[in-house]
Amino acid sequence: MKDKLTFYIERESSLHRVNPLTKLVMVFAFIILAFFGPGFWLPSLLVVLGIIPLSFLGRVQREYFRTAGRLLLPVVGFLFLMQSVFHPDVGDSRVLLQVWVLNVTVEGVRFAYLTASRIFVMVSAFILFLLTTHPSELMSDLTRRGLSGTFAYVITATLQIIPQMQAKASTIIDAQRSRGLDTDGSFRKRVGALLPLTGPLVFGSLVEVEERAIAIEARAFTSKLEKTSLREIPDTKLDKAARWFFLLLIVLAFGSKLWPS
Amino acid sequence: MRIVVNELHHTYPAGVEALRGISLVIEAGEQVAMVGQNGAGKTTLVKHFNGLLQPTQGSVHIGDWDTREHAVSQLAARVGYVFQNPDEQLFTKNVHDEVAFGPRNLGYSPERIERLVEDALALTELTDKKETNPYDLSSTWRKMVALASIISMDTPVVIFDEPTTGQDAANIARIANVVRVLRERGKTVITITHDIDFCAENFERIIALAQGRVLLDGPANDVLAEDELLATTYVDPPQLTRLGKRLGLPVTVRDEEQFLAAYREFIGTEK
Ligand SMILES: Nc1ncnc2c1ncn2[C@@H]1O[C@H](COP(=O)(O)OP(=O)(O)O)[C@@H](O)[C@H]1O
Ligand SMILES: [Mg+2]
Repeated sequence: MKDKLTFYIERESSLHRVNPLTKLVMVFAFIILAFFGPGFWLPSLLVVLGIIPLSFLGRVQREYFRTAGRLLLPVVGFLFLMQSVFHPDVGDSRVLLQVWVLNVTVEGVRFAYLTASRIFVMVSAFILFLLTTHPSELMSDLTRRGLSGTFAYVITATLQIIPQMQAKASTIIDAQRSRGLDTDGSFRKRVGALLPLTGPLVFGSLVEVEERAIAIEARAFTSKLEKTSLREIPDTKLDKAARWFFLLLIVLAFGSKLWPS
Repeated sequence: MRIVVNELHHTYPAGVEALRGISLVIEAGEQVAMVGQNGAGKTTLVKHFNGLLQPTQGSVHIGDWDTREHAVSQLAARVGYVFQNPDEQLFTKNVHDEVAFGPRNLGYSPERIERLVEDALALTELTDKKETNPYDLSSTWRKMVALASIISMDTPVVIFDEPTTGQDAANIARIANVVRVLRERGKTVITITHDIDFCAENFERIIALAQGRVLLDGPANDVLAEDELLATTYVDPPQLTRLGKRLGLPVTVRDEEQFLAAYREFIGTEK
């Protein structure tokens, strides 16, 4: 049950064992390559040759495709449509199709495809990261490297908050339906159902904030002394090498922008 | 209202097989306690009684209704369900309105709603707090508001999910009193609990679940006598029951009265 609260899928795989920081650097390398790297097809190649094979390596391919399909395809599809239809017609581009007063040009479609594939890389790299990295593992690794505890907390709390809210919301819906609230009737009924459903979510979260603050402080969160960690997070030579490699890729991607050949 | 569960299986979308073939009948007006280790499937089972969950296989009937054919908002008129955490349902600015929310949803007349609310508030000892904002109450009193908000719906069946968890002795006594009054009114009460003393003192029938199946089901004394089987689902009989057994009392006891009666007889016959 508690694993349901994050995207994380507990599984034995080599991608799961990679150090969290390495994975994070890899994600940023993917994103920066997609946005600044050379070549029209680069973002698509990154997905097909990078992210998708990695999802198999992490043995989370099913979850990856499901999440990416549900979360990304609608957004990316919509983006693609809007961009290709509303791309400014510069005049010298070949017209593919006329929709009402709008011209769909080859250039527009190319631009839309590029934008959509870049966004796809960005979000789906993060999905893969979240699927294979436990947030608390990331947090302890980063704090061990000197990141401020407060900052690490803000990051992990943000990663967790949406799934947590979802779980809470579905319990609230169940509780109110059990009291005879009709949540799928007419529009008026739905509007009437808004307060009983959002009220407990908001009040409950406020109560929770206080409890959380107390719980964290009870474990000496703000203490300035160096802390030890129960969990040992592996960081191998290979991890370090991989991080340098990805950093190099990032530099090269920016470089290709600065010195166009 | 009779509850009939027939060969019920439930598998969650994530693939967890939480119930693996449960059959049982709960007669109108029965008081049933449900025990078993965490994850045994207690909550999953009772969520079938008001339609929050649908059977993967098998069926559940509440009176003449098959739960598959009725919406949760309809079943709410027959089965009241008090969730574990009151904070997941409280939303109004005062206790009175919170308690009136359920009966209003069920479409009762204003006079009936007022009468039911007053009665539920009296039963849960909240009458003097009815103008208070639920969030200004302590968590034990919020629990009572949650109880009242279901009792006011006047359903023939009432379900409590772990009502005594985290409650002080005074509040446990209040909850026990609520159960007693509901019994006198002929309601069916089903309570999930880890509090074995509460269970032994207030319920005539105990159902023990383990790994999605019924492990034991019967009169409280008979079930509590099976300490070895109960241990497999991490349930310890009450101290008095265990003491009675260690003393070699010929019958199983579960409260002070039973213990004293059996013990007096035991001493008397031993001489
Ligand atoms: N929403 C859910 N999704 C997936 N699995 C669940 C869900 N709720 C409960 N389970 C699983 O079903 C089993 C029974 O849970 P539950 O009925 O809550 O047990 P109990 O109330 O006896 O502690 C457990 O293995 C639990 O992890
Ligand atoms: Mg439970």
